[in-house]
This record gives sequence, C-alpha cells and structure tokens, in this order.
Amino acid sequence: MQEKDPEKGMLVRKIEEGTVVDHIPDWKAQTVSKVLRLDKLARMQSEISVAILQNVDSKTLARKDVIKIDRWHVDEKEADILSLIFPGITVNYINEWKVSKYSSKVPDTIEGRIKCPEVNCISNSGREPVVSKFVTLKRDRLLQCHYCDTTVEFERIPDLVSA
Amino acid sequence: MAKNFDFLGRDVVSIRDFKRDQLEHVFESVDALEKKPKSLDAGLQGKMVALLFFEPSTRTYSSFQIAAENLGLKVSGFSNVAASSVSKGETLYDTIKMFEGYETDCFVIRHSMMGSARFAAEATDVPVINAGDGSREHPTQAMVDLYSIRRDFGKLDGLKIGVLGDLKYGRTASSLAYALSNYDVEICFIAPDALQIRPEVELFLNQRGTRFSRETSLATVANTLDVLYVTRIQKERIPDPTEYERVRGLYQVNLETLREAKPSLKVFHPLPRVDELASEIDGTEFARYFNQAAVGLPLRMALLNMVIGGAD
Repeated sequence: MQEKDPEKGMLVRKIEEGTVVDHIPDWKAQTVSKVLRLDKLARMQSEISVAILQNVDSKTLARKDVIKIDRWHVDEKEADILSLIFPGITVNYINEWKVSKYSSKVPDTIEGRIKCPEVNCISNSGREPVVSKFVTLKRDRLLQCHYCDTTVEFERIPDLVSA
Repeated sequence: MAKNFDFLGRDVVSIRDFKRDQLEHVFESVDALEKKPKSLDAGLQGKMVALLFFEPSTRTYSSFQIAAENLGLKVSGFSNVAASSVSKGETLYDTIKMFEGYETDCFVIRHSMMGSARFAAEATDVPVINAGDGSREHPTQAMVDLYSIRRDFGKLDGLKIGVLGDLKYGRTASSLAYALSNYDVEICFIAPDALQIRPEVELFLNQRGTRFSRETSLATVANTLDVLYVTRIQKERIPDPTEYERVRGLYQVNLETLREAKPSLKVFHPLPRVDELASEIDGTEFARYFNQAAVGLPLRMALLNMVIGGAD
C-alpha cells in the first residue's frame, strides 16, 4: 500500500530526476507500461523505480492514471508512440526537480519498435538483416508496414511492441 | 512539364509506384514491340539479368527468361530453390549480394514472404523487379492485365470490372486493383467475406477516390460487368473442406453463370486455373485469358529494355 505524502497530498513523492507520464486514461497505465517496456527496464537497471498510480483524481479527466519513473528519461520516440495511442497523454521530464513538458510529435515512421502482425512479412523472417518499419497514417489512425503494407490501428500498438 | 519516363535503373516493386502516364508509356512500348520480330537488337549484349525464383513459377519465370534472351541478355539465377544454395539456408540478402558481385544488371525476384521485393530493392542499387512477393503484389502481371483489357476495349476509363476469387491472398487481384486506381473505372470485388480484398487495398482505393463495391455473389452483378477478372480460390486458405466445396461451387464461372452477362463481357484470368473457370468458356467470345497470357512476353521485354537499357 502506498503512503500519502502529508505535505503535498500526493500518493507518491516528487522525483528529482526522471519522467512522469500523466493524463493516462484511467486503468490504462498497464498498457503504457507495456509500450515503454517498464518491467524489463526496471529488471535490467536496478536503480530505476517505477510507481504506477491508477484511478486517481484529475482536474481535466474524471479519473486518470499516472506513471512516475525515477531516474529514467523515457525516449522521445517512445513518448511519440504513446501519444499516438493516447492523444491526451502528457510526458514530463524531471531534471533537478524542474518539470519540462515534452511536446510529442506524430512520427512519420516508426522503426524497430513494433512487430508487424503479418507473420509472413519479411520483417518477421528472423534471418534476414531487416528492421521493422511502419509509416504513420495519422488521419486514419493507422500504421502501415513499409514492407508488406499491412495496416495496424493505433490501439493495437501495445500488443505489437517488440520484446 | 517534363514527364518522368526514364525507367533506367528503376525498381518495379509495387504497381502503386506507377502513375497513369507511366503505365501508358509502358503500354506504348509493348504496342511497338508487338509489331516487331521476336528478337530485338536492343544493344544489351553483355548485360545480365538474375532471375531469383524462391517460389515455383512457370509462366512468369519462362516469360522473363524468354524476354531476356530475346533482348540478348545473359540469364542467371534459379527457378528451383531445391537446386540452389537457398536450400542450404542462404538468405535472400546473401543471395542478392552474391549475384550483385557477378555484376548483375537487374534482379527479377519471386519470394514467398510479403514485402520481400521492397527489402530486396533496399538491399541493392541494382534494379529489382518484383515477380510476386507472397500474397502482396505482382506488378508486372498487373501491367499485363491492364494492357490486355485496354487492348480489347480500346480504353480503360468507363469500364466496370469485376474481380472474383481469392482477393485476400491473391497478389494479382491486389495489384490489379492498385493499377486500376489510375483510371476512371468501377471495381466490384466478388468473394466470400473471408477472402475479400484486404483493408490496405481498400484504404488505398479510398485515398485515390476509386469507386468500388464488395459483393459475395457473381450472380447479382454479372449482367452489369464489362470485364470479369477471375482468380483461383485456393483450397489451402479455407480450413473447413465442406466450406471449401460450398465456396468453390459459388465462384465457379461457366456458361450458366454467365447466362445473364452482357454479350460484350470479356473474361480474364492470370492463370493457372484449376476449376474456377470452366473450359466450356474457352471457345466463346468471352474468353480472353490466353491472349492475355501471351502479352506477358512483349510486356516483360519492353520493361527489361526500359529498366536495363533505358529505352524510351
């Protein structure tokens, strides 16, 4: 059980360095964690702590989820992928207690982070020197495989994140 | 405005990379070739094309081989994976690099994996012609199909074209649909729901503003079509044998199926056929598929001549 910070009324204390992923739709923090591969990250780098807050009060949303990652800056490209799935999400970088909000960009292409769902796509061959590549079709909220043309709804991205 | 008809060194990965005027330019070259003798002194002696067929093929392989030989090109490669190093586990990438070292001037590649042609084109500076990549595309077949229809009707604009069969896994259906999007046509995709045209093809047609519809029965549209493009329903794609038998019967084209069709209807098929197109059609005015198959040779000659020789 998490302790409340009596001074700030927060479930988890502020962090000096790291990333706060805010305004995640309620009960979707685990999906964000999956996209950012946080379990793997925390396992591989013991100094990193991750706090996942679910269904907390929000000024702009009725309820929301928040993820605080202590001593780790989420890659901007991963923040951009998150914003495709959850357009309202905010990614804040914390440097020496100072908060700077990252303005996410819609990436034109996404390389190497998402597996093509078409098993017979050359990018899934496993033997060829090839990295998956998707083109973003923002208006249709789709990614399209650069190689085999298979389309993927943004909402399906979490299921296709490379391990 | 200058038109980009310079095909020298150009990849032919997807038919979507070709605009209407470029396709018409290819067709004009085929027209010219059809009036000439079989062989053509194109000044390509000493140049080499590698035919890398990782999947079996009769028509496409043979037509590329004969087309290359008619142009005086040397032909290397393989049509039988079992007899090549690929059977020992050599990758597509390594195979390309090896043939690149032999100073190949053009690759013609057929491979079972989707997107293999795009990957191959990125792996080498030598032009790559896609001769079929899995169930995705077969751009030179689409050129053959368009040319054949255009030759019979004198135009493509204004036609209503039915595309029937396994549209989900059939690469010729996808490439034909992409190619037709350059013209003012109406496409009718006729297939069981499980084998209907793929979402990315629909997406592309919507982006291009091409009119299309989806039908599950040929009977409901047969009397409205100018062209019927028949493809095979592949047994292995339908797991339930009973369902396969049902579907196969529904999508078989014969004289009875075409009873209501316009007398001017023309039937095309990329071949090979199994039993989706009855042989009783062969002797009728509907049948155009053997003429269509014959276009494969001059079209591939024209294309190789443009890509390797830079012919106008």
